[in-house]
Amino acid sequence: MSVIPSDKPSHQRDSIEMSTPENLVNVSSTPQFQELLSKDLKRISLIYFFAPWAAPCEQMDQVVEGLAKAYPKLLTLRVEAEEQADISESFDINSVPACLVIQGHALLGRIEGGDATQLTKTIEKYLGSKSQSATSQPPVPPPSSETEEQLQARMHNIMKQSKVVLFMKGEPDTPRCGFSRTAVALLREKNVAFSHFDILSDQTVRQGLKKLNDWPTYPQFIVNGEFVGGLDVVKEMKESGEFDDVFFV
Amino acid sequence: MPVTAEDLDRAIRAAFPVSHLEIEDQSSGCGSSYAILLVSEVFAGKNTLARHRLINQALKQEISQLHAFSQKSYTPTQYAEYLAKSG
Repeated sequence: MSVIPSDKPSHQRDSIEMSTPENLVNVSSTPQFQELLSKDLKRISLIYFFAPWAAPCEQMDQVVEGLAKAYPKLLTLRVEAEEQADISESFDINSVPACLVIQGHALLGRIEGGDATQLTKTIEKYLGSKSQSATSQPPVPPPSSETEEQLQARMHNIMKQSKVVLFMKGEPDTPRCGFSRTAVALLREKNVAFSHFDILSDQTVRQGLKKLNDWPTYPQFIVNGEFVGGLDVVKEMKESGEFDDVFFV
Repeated sequence: MPVTAEDLDRAIRAAFPVSHLEIEDQSSGCGSSYAILLVSEVFAGKNTLARHRLINQALKQEISQLHAFSQKSYTPTQYAEYLAKSG
């Protein structure tokens, strides 16, 4: 008895691309979809319905990819809504982008439209602080030819990938600089849930963000998509009592 | 030519009304890393980020030549409180 549907060409059976994070999967069939979800009923999954022609999906694409990278434990399934009509129908998906957050048979959240903040909030609610080391995953190289505008958009998306984003050197568990190490420790000490971006992995963002935020150094703390300060600033905020107002709004 | 404490002092006084200023070379005399403490009424009503941006802007030239730079800023009132506490 064949487990793999014989009507599907072999290149569609495994659609995991080498450059994307392990936990991000492009769903190509209903059996594959069901198999992925039923593997671990305790695992939290994000099902993202999209259409390649829908403009609002462009931003959502980035947000979803950012979340997949920030939360390696989050099983992130990309479902092309029209192509996977059965799956879309079973979840009553009428428009894209649409996201479902699921755990086993429980629906934890449903986000219709391009509400990146709502999606990120929902993920954070269930997965909390995820400053996990991603050293096992190769960094995604930035698009080779990117206009200034595209770079700006990309940086903004990364800044919005979670409520709090730390742009640092290295990874939270393997920082490449003392200041970045201190920044991570500070956030953990204050129990702030955050995701990170390793600026050593992307030179265009590294330089571009300094210009965008008009700040010459890293680490950089971003809250709700906005730059709030470097390490010195945030340390002072801790002392002055501003910290909670800024990070726990 | 490395940035000297005098360079910083001059630049700061040219940019802000100074109540109190301390400059410390943290690079053991190499002039590559400084910590400053600046007390000025110009900081009134400004949050931490705004204060840092203000100083960074005024000392842009100097800071760009430094390896590291840290700053503490107070209004005269805040500084008095700070001294009283650590008194």
